[in-house]
This record gives sequence, structure tokens and C-alpha cells, in this order.
Amino acid sequence: MIFGKELKKIMWGIPYLLFVAVVTVALYSQGVFHFGDEKILHPEPGGTYGTKNEEIPELIMPAALQSLYAEFQENLYRTYPFGLLKKITLNEQEQTRIAEILSQITGINTNEFQGKKETSYSNNEFSIQIVGNGGLQAEDDGSFTISMDDPAIEDATTEDFPDLTVREDLSYAEFKALMQKADDILGGGSEYAAESLIGFGTVPVTYEEALDRYELMRTRDRVTGGYARLFSDYAVAMALSVLPVFLAVIMGMKDRSADMSALIYTRKAASAKIVFARYLALVTAVMLPVILLSYISNVSVWDMYPGMGIDYFAPLKYDLCYIMPSAMIAIAVGMCLTELTNTPIAIAVQGLWWFIDINAGMRSVSASYALLRLAPRHNAGTQSYFRTQDFIDNFPRLLANRLLFAGLSLLLVIATVFIFSAKRKGKINGNHRLKKTLAGLRNRKNQSQA
Amino acid sequence: MPVFAIAKINLRHNITFHIEVCAAILIITPILYGTANLDTASAAAPLEMFLSFIGIVLLTPVFAPEQNPGTGDLVASKTVSTLTVYLIRMICAVILTILLIGLFSAYMRLQKSDVTLLLFIGTVANAVFLGSLGMMTAALTDNTIIAYMIPLVYYALNYGMGNKLGHYFLFSMRASDFEPKLWLLTTGILLVFLSLIVKWYKKRLQ
Repeated sequence: MIFGKELKKIMWGIPYLLFVAVVTVALYSQGVFHFGDEKILHPEPGGTYGTKNEEIPELIMPAALQSLYAEFQENLYRTYPFGLLKKITLNEQEQTRIAEILSQITGINTNEFQGKKETSYSNNEFSIQIVGNGGLQAEDDGSFTISMDDPAIEDATTEDFPDLTVREDLSYAEFKALMQKADDILGGGSEYAAESLIGFGTVPVTYEEALDRYELMRTRDRVTGGYARLFSDYAVAMALSVLPVFLAVIMGMKDRSADMSALIYTRKAASAKIVFARYLALVTAVMLPVILLSYISNVSVWDMYPGMGIDYFAPLKYDLCYIMPSAMIAIAVGMCLTELTNTPIAIAVQGLWWFIDINAGMRSVSASYALLRLAPRHNAGTQSYFRTQDFIDNFPRLLANRLLFAGLSLLLVIATVFIFSAKRKGKINGNHRLKKTLAGLRNRKNQSQA
Repeated sequence: MPVFAIAKINLRHNITFHIEVCAAILIITPILYGTANLDTASAAAPLEMFLSFIGIVLLTPVFAPEQNPGTGDLVASKTVSTLTVYLIRMICAVILTILLIGLFSAYMRLQKSDVTLLLFIGTVANAVFLGSLGMMTAALTDNTIIAYMIPLVYYALNYGMGNKLGHYFLFSMRASDFEPKLWLLTTGILLVFLSLIVKWYKKRLQ
């Protein structure tokens, strides 16, 4: 009964229509309604099947070393704090520490690295030594022309890079530890961080691997599962981790602005019943258009795979298990903080949480299943055959994440019940108590001044 | 006309909370990204990606106090027109936006980051544009909460669509492209005034 009334209240109005429109636009911008353009074909021998990253020390160590040396020479390092590119220039002391790391990796003396650096860039001061058959010739206008006849000498200037190789007796674990040190000197977020080194291990996907991936996509994902997962990835990142908070806050503030709070407080229904009914109504109202949109997205590929036994319930499964916990937490934060403060502070809190989560995970968009990620990512499309094996391997982590968020949201709703109940009994009254306390402090101050 | 009195009351009663949120943005930015020794392209990141939010926080709630019917009726009964009050609030919000972004830019320069005048103006353009989206939505829907949603979603679209947004791409300064800022600033100013006109027209209809 209460649930029905609440649902009607939420869905009957411009805010809800705008919410649906905004979710649709956000998802449309990610191309989720054009999945029909991306058919997965059976791999044929002799083709190219994309690339993948693998932790192959023989590949990673020389590539990472060359990269670090090149950046050391320029004294311009690329880091990605908070997912955004930031170029860093180190001071002399820090450069020496990087030179020491290079020395430990290659076995070449530290001074030699610094010597090379000084030849190339010595604090903008250049000294030119002219040797060979050329020379410095004075011109009529007072200028000087440098001529250099010996090509061997000209080439020598481009051979600043020594033939860098990793010491043979250096283990991969030691190499990782040294690279981590370099990352620490750079302030973190560089490609040399132990967990980022795998980025240097790019290898092509073989025909056999492509075949395996295709089979997994066909048997485990039953085709539509991959598309539904990609839809969910965009949905949690772009919309459902943050937008539901607006509906929750609007509903909370609506009672207050219409002076309905007092009327609701006098209802016979238990506080838990009222709060949970509203919560369920909000979750339902949020998820209904999402389910509809996920099917609109998924249906577009159904006739592309005739006779492949596709899973018609895949969108629904992913909507409820992948997307819904993010929506649940956004709604719970909205309800709890609005009930507690009578202000729209929840928008700032959830907005900030979403902003940090999205940016911090910017470099792991392709796959990120950390326990505390608000919007876990598995951004794998048709070109990588949805990387089904990666998903299967990380499924327990994703499950833990989603269960945690669902549980956390229920805890917040229970907290909301207590706050609502206390308000009903007149024990607290939103931020009025805080205001009263502050007013009291001000009065005391004024009295003491008097 | 008690312009300063209105501005003072607005500062003291209406936007104290919003200024606190802006202060939080200013404090969090150096913690999350780091603002020392940055070249122009790197300095653009914290400015256009973090400080742009100030516009949403300060400009969107310009019409908020009168959304309460009681307050709206009371303000309407005064000799000073509601539109004038909106205008004063809007000017206050823009000045505060410029001031806060300016202060942060100066702080970054003190930290030896290469913050140019163009970066500063570009950031203000972003903030005004996003804020104007909020103001326009608030004027049309009379709902400040929903008004916060539209600029936030537009901001999110910039992550997914990037350059496809053309002249209205918010994060162009990171690629040393300042042309979109002119479009953003011009459109932002137009939308701000258009939202005031919408408010005035809706009031006339009543």
C-alpha cells in the first residue's frame, strides 16, 4: 500500500522524467544502443586478433628500463595521479636517486648516467666543443658559422643512449622493487609502479587464443551476456552510481518543502515500514527504466546470432546483480543524509565519491574489481571477445564488491529508520538541533562580552 | 536600492553552505592531484576538471530561496522586484566564482605552476557554463535539486564523449586548445541571462 503510493509519488512528475531522460542520454553517449553494429565473427587463421598485456619479465624489464632512461634524460616524467596525466620534473637530488636506480638495474656506474644527462641538458647551459675538419668562421656581419665536415662526429652526438640492458643476475622481483622505488620518487601513479609494470608487456593475441575466447563467449556468455556486461559497465560508471541520489534527495526534501513531515510522523505505520517502502519504491523506480534500456540495447543483437542459443535473460541478470547495488548505495546515501540533515548535502557527498572513484580508476577502465570500487569496470567489447575468461577469473572479487555495497546500503537504510523514528518521537529535528547549539554558543559569547 | 544589503544578506544566509562546499573543493584539489611545479598542460587539469564545479555549486541555487512558496510570496510583496534580487544574487555568485578561481590560480603560481591568464579565464568559462546549465534548469523546473543534476551529467558526458562535444568540450585546455572556452563563456553568459528572462516571464504569467 505505502509502496504503491510512494512509487506513484516518485514516478509522477518532471524530476523523474528528467532522470529517465538523463540516464538515456548518458548511456546513448557511450554507444550502448548501437551494439547491433558490432558483430563478433568466428576467428579465421592469418588475421589479427588484438593485443593483451601479460607479465612476461623478458618483455617488461627492457621496455620499462628504456622508458625510464628516456624520461630521466629529458627529466620529464609522465605520471597519472588520480588518473590524469601529470608531467613531473625532478630536482637534482631526486634525479641522482633515479640515476642510482638505473645503475642498480644495468650495472653501469651512476656517474656515467649523470654524465650523459649533463652533456645533453646541463641546466640550460651549453658548451660547444668543435672538433674535426670544420670550424668557427667569422662572417662579414659579425655572426659566426659553425661548419662540421666529419659525418662520423655528427653521428656521435645522437649516440647518447648507451646500449642499456638489464643486469643478468637481477631477478624480476628485484627489478620490480627498484621500479617501485622510482615510482615512489615520482610521487606515485607512474607506469613504473609494481602493479602498472604489466603495461609494458603488450603481446598480440594468437589465433588459438582468439578461438578459445570466441568459444568462451559463445558457451559461457551465450553471446548476449557479453553485450549485457558492457552495457552494465557503462551504466554503473556513467549514470547509476550517482544519478539515483538526486531522486532520493528530491523525495526527502519534498516532504519538508510541502510541510508534510509532521503529517507523515503521525501515521500509524511503523517507521521501518515507511522508510523501507520508500527505499524499495526508489530502487524500483530507478531500475525500471534501466531494465527497459538494457533490453533495448540487447535486443539489437539477438537476430545477429541465429541458432547460437543466446541467453534472453542476460540483461536482467546483469541489471540486478551488477548495476543495482550501485543504484542501491546512491539511493541509501541520499535518503540517510537528507533525513539526517534536512539538506541536499547527499548530492555533494555522492557526487564527490563518484568523481573520485571514476578518476582514480581511470587507468584501469578495462578491468577493475577492487572491493571498494563504487563502479567496478569490465570494459571489454567485441574486439576482445568480451574477455570472458578475465571476467570468470575475477568474478569472486566482483561478487564480493557487489554484496558489500548491497549490504552497506541496507545498513544505511536501517540508520535512516532510526533517524526517522527519533524525529517522529521529537528526539531530533534535523539540523535544527545543530543550529540551536550554535545559536546558544553565540548567545553565551555575546553575554560574556556584555 | 538596497543592493549591498541584499548582497550581504545573501552571503550571510543563502550561500554560506555553498561557500563551504567550494572551500572543500579547493582543499581537496591539491590533495588529489598536486598543484606544484606543473607545466601549462598539467596545470590545466586541476583547474578545468576540479574547479569547474565551483560554478555548479554557486550559480545553480540562485533561485533556490524563493522555491519555498512562503518565502516567494514574502519576497514578491517587497518594493524591490524579485528579478532584481535574482540579479544581485547572480552577480554575487559570479564574483565569488571568479574570486575563488583567481585565488586558487594565484596559489598554484606561488607553487611554481605555469598558470597563465588564459587558463584562469578558461576555468571561469567552464564554471560559468556549468552553472548556467544549472540556473536554466532551475528556472524551467523550479527544482534546485534536479538543477544540480543537469550540469553534473553534462560534466560526466565529457568523460565519455570527449572531443565529440566540439566547441562545448570542457577539458580542452589540457590539449592546449582554448577555442572552446570562448564558446562556453559566451553560451554561459547567454544562458544566465536567459534563465533570468524565463523567471521573469513565468512570474508575469502568474
